[in-house]
Amino acid sequence: MANPRFEAQLARFFYRPDEDVGAWLELAPEIAEAGEVAEELPEEFLAFELGAEVYAVPIGAVREILKVPAITGVPRVAEHVLGVMNVRGEMLPVYDLKQRLRLVDAPQRVTGPTDLPRESRVVLLKDPEGDAGILVDRVQGVVRLPLSKLEPAPNLGADRRAVAGLGRAGGNLYILLDVEAALA
Amino acid sequence: MAPPRALSEFVAEANEVLETLAHDVAVLDAQRGREPEPDLLNAIFRAAHSLKGLSGMFGQERISTLAHHLEDVLDALRLGKVLASDALLDAILDGVDVLTLMLREASGEAPSDETARRATALTETFVRLASGGQQTAVDVLDEVGLDPAIRSVFTEYEEHRLRENVKKGIALWKVRAVFSLDDFDQRLAGLNATLKPLGEVISTLPSSQPGDETSIAFDLIFGSPRPQHEIETAVQTMASVQPLTNKPVRPRLVSEPEPDAPRTRPAPRPPVFASDVSSPELTPLSSSSPSGVMQGAEPSLRSLAQTVRVDIARLDGLMNVIGELLTVRANIHRLADVARQAGATPLPKLWGQELQKEARALERKLDELQAGVLDVRMVPLGQVFDKLARLMRRLVRQSGKDVHFEVSGGDVELDKLIVEELSDPLMHLLRNALDHGVETPDRRIAQGKDARGLIRLKAQQLGNQVQIEVGDDGAGMDEGRIKQVAIERGLVTRELTDELERRDLLNLVFLPGFSTRKDVSELSGRGVGLDVVKTNLARLSGLIDIDSRRGEGTTFVLTLPLTLAIIRALIVGVADRTFAVPLNSVTEIVAVKPAELRTIERREVLEVRGQTLPFVRLSRIFGLQELPVERHFVVVIGLAQERLGLAVDALLGQEDIVTKPLGGRLKGVPGIAGATELGDRRAVLVLDVAALVEELKRPQAAVG
Amino acid sequence: MEPFKVLIVEDSRATREMLAAAVDLAGGVEVYTAVSGFEALKVLPRHRFALIITDINMPDINGLELINFVKKNPNYRHVPLFVVTTEGRSQDRERGLQLGASEYLVKPFESETLTALVQRYLKR
Repeated sequence: MANPRFEAQLARFFYRPDEDVGAWLELAPEIAEAGEVAEELPEEFLAFELGAEVYAVPIGAVREILKVPAITGVPRVAEHVLGVMNVRGEMLPVYDLKQRLRLVDAPQRVTGPTDLPRESRVVLLKDPEGDAGILVDRVQGVVRLPLSKLEPAPNLGADRRAVAGLGRAGGNLYILLDVEAALA
Repeated sequence: MAPPRALSEFVAEANEVLETLAHDVAVLDAQRGREPEPDLLNAIFRAAHSLKGLSGMFGQERISTLAHHLEDVLDALRLGKVLASDALLDAILDGVDVLTLMLREASGEAPSDETARRATALTETFVRLASGGQQTAVDVLDEVGLDPAIRSVFTEYEEHRLRENVKKGIALWKVRAVFSLDDFDQRLAGLNATLKPLGEVISTLPSSQPGDETSIAFDLIFGSPRPQHEIETAVQTMASVQPLTNKPVRPRLVSEPEPDAPRTRPAPRPPVFASDVSSPELTPLSSSSPSGVMQGAEPSLRSLAQTVRVDIARLDGLMNVIGELLTVRANIHRLADVARQAGATPLPKLWGQELQKEARALERKLDELQAGVLDVRMVPLGQVFDKLARLMRRLVRQSGKDVHFEVSGGDVELDKLIVEELSDPLMHLLRNALDHGVETPDRRIAQGKDARGLIRLKAQQLGNQVQIEVGDDGAGMDEGRIKQVAIERGLVTRELTDELERRDLLNLVFLPGFSTRKDVSELSGRGVGLDVVKTNLARLSGLIDIDSRRGEGTTFVLTLPLTLAIIRALIVGVADRTFAVPLNSVTEIVAVKPAELRTIERREVLEVRGQTLPFVRLSRIFGLQELPVERHFVVVIGLAQERLGLAVDALLGQEDIVTKPLGGRLKGVPGIAGATELGDRRAVLVLDVAALVEELKRPQAAVG
Repeated sequence: MEPFKVLIVEDSRATREMLAAAVDLAGGVEVYTAVSGFEALKVLPRHRFALIITDINMPDINGLELINFVKKNPNYRHVPLFVVTTEGRSQDRERGLQLGASEYLVKPFESETLTALVQRYLKR
């Protein structure tokens, strides 16, 4: 295995900003519940980890998945905004969802991939207010969740307004993210 | 009928036609009281006519209808059926305005009842004016004996011009010239230019007479009072000259109809390849079959038009590409530097030098490309000046004041985006000059001035900037009154005004909510103050200054960059961050030791060349870590009439940058105009200097 | 089969393109455009046009003069010629037809009308 000292440099050398969701879609059957009777077509979600929790967003809301790019801090914005990233000439905001959802106490300072574990990714979400990235600890892949089996979000208080509901598949719990509320 | 692109196509072309129309009408208006030039009138008629046809084709009924009535009036005018009265000229001016409004509404603006009301009123006016006169009873052309074969190709307008010439006793000539097919248009233009000083070229008739494949003959129908030999001398070998009407009237051919007799339209005869029934001197098809003639050279001539119209968004796209290339260039330079300096061994050192040489070549070409694209974006200020002149003439008439409006520098070119944004601020300043600047004739005479006032609009290019002056020779500004009003409205404290110098006092008029007159006149428009002018200008990275002398007048001086697309920026470091500061707002950079700073009312200030400036630490206003320093680098910002010293930790160089807006929800961050990318792809924030200056000034000027 | 070449002479770009689109719909045609009478004069000898469509009001020579030129020239006189104009003025219309124009269309009109006429004259 590569010497961990060089890992960050290698990661940067092979930095490709536009790994797209397509690759993840191919993984979908492996993750999806085997043998489930498909009476309705389950919706596809992208599942990712924030700390110990697993979140999911509709695949249609995902524009692309990026390796963590250089992030430039922006003064005078909310704590959960990490800054802006340059995606092929577009200057898009990156949000720290863990801070937004109060999963951590202190805001983290991120200026680029070297500040984070290798598995970290930025998930670029489509949003009518303007596309934006969210920093996630790890992308699990695509999960199929039947819409009829989604559960409403338990009342967890004002901080968790961004939770749209819960989904279960293969014994795992997925917290469905309300993208607009999460970015607001 | 309309394909999807149709509406934008229509709007683009209609806009062009309207601009031409507006320009020519402004010229016509300026010639009030004289007999209008036939060429000018005809050009205006043609523009109205094109607009009618164009909007009709695209189903834009409202525009088409109004343009139609305008065309009728203009037609009557150019055919001499009505006179160019003041009422008629005013209606034409108004017509151009309403058509402009309608076009805006067609392109997506909310339709207003006001526009519809004006259109209806105008339509009635046009109908009334167009029916003003009646046709001449006797046709003088019949009397001079014009060859009906020639006469049959004249339009009604051309006949009218012939009549006008004949009525004035001006002789008509046929000037015949034979030119090569390759360049006949230039040669004809040359011939026209030669003839023009001697008379009027009424029509240009192409003739098939020489009959060979490489040349073409033209008969120019020319009205001129000069003797034949003089015209012949002028045209020299270019053409031959014959009297048109002295020629005996040829007996009419059977097939050539009496021009004034009623005619019936021949039935369509599909397909008409083999014969031509309308012409008696029929040549057999076999002899004229063109089959072998034109096979050889077939140049691509789908369109020979010399210009293309480009959506400004496409130019922005090109500009972005250039911006990215500039980044590549910076990278190559850096690599070359590294290679050259790492040159302990000769090879990398040589490579470094080679690389540097190539980088310089790239840089030169890139500069050319950038200049080229910028050049394409440039449009003459005249586009705006013409509109303003039109509006001003009308406002002057309504104001009851006697004012000469003088415009110069319309040929100075600026970025299209800037020119578009300029018309509102300039209009406001001009209205101010008319409304508040120039005095009434009585008062001017009482003060020993010429009764006629002067308002000037003048542009000139100074290096990379354009300066536009809006000046008047009116009463000038009253500082005492300004001071009083500013205090009354709670804009400044009395103590503060006592400390202000004259120039700063004048600048109080740019504060929001300031207006030197209580009764807001119709001309100035309601609710819009000079603060809006200033904000608009700041958005264009422009500066505005006032020079005003009591009794002598006021001049506003606007300074604007030539373009906003690519700007030169100063790259600065603050704490561990990097920012870009647009250089067009930087007046100088100085270094000061902390001990040189002073405070006034607990605000830090510094002195630069005898002027005291507010001193602001970028780290502090952006909530960044403040590093202890031996000396501050101070970037002195000059924006509009404001000066400000901005302290940064490090100066990192200069770059050409393309500023991109921050995406989505970060759009409105105060003090940040956007971001750009430098060599390492990392986004670098670009300061919004205007917003920073504005926010830092606010608590200082306002009362607690 | 060789496409029929159709020349459109019209100084307004938008109108020109609309006309070109309508003519194109007739099928089997190759559309050429000229922005002025002068340009038309230059293009005429280089191609064998099957149909010419011209405006009346143009800045250099007017459409009537172009018709006259075409119809008096043994090389082109057989080519059918349509006038498409906003000029409803009856004198110009009559002169246009008198000089040999086959059709005189006053704008606005349905594009189908022009398409159908082109097909008829080109025997499609």
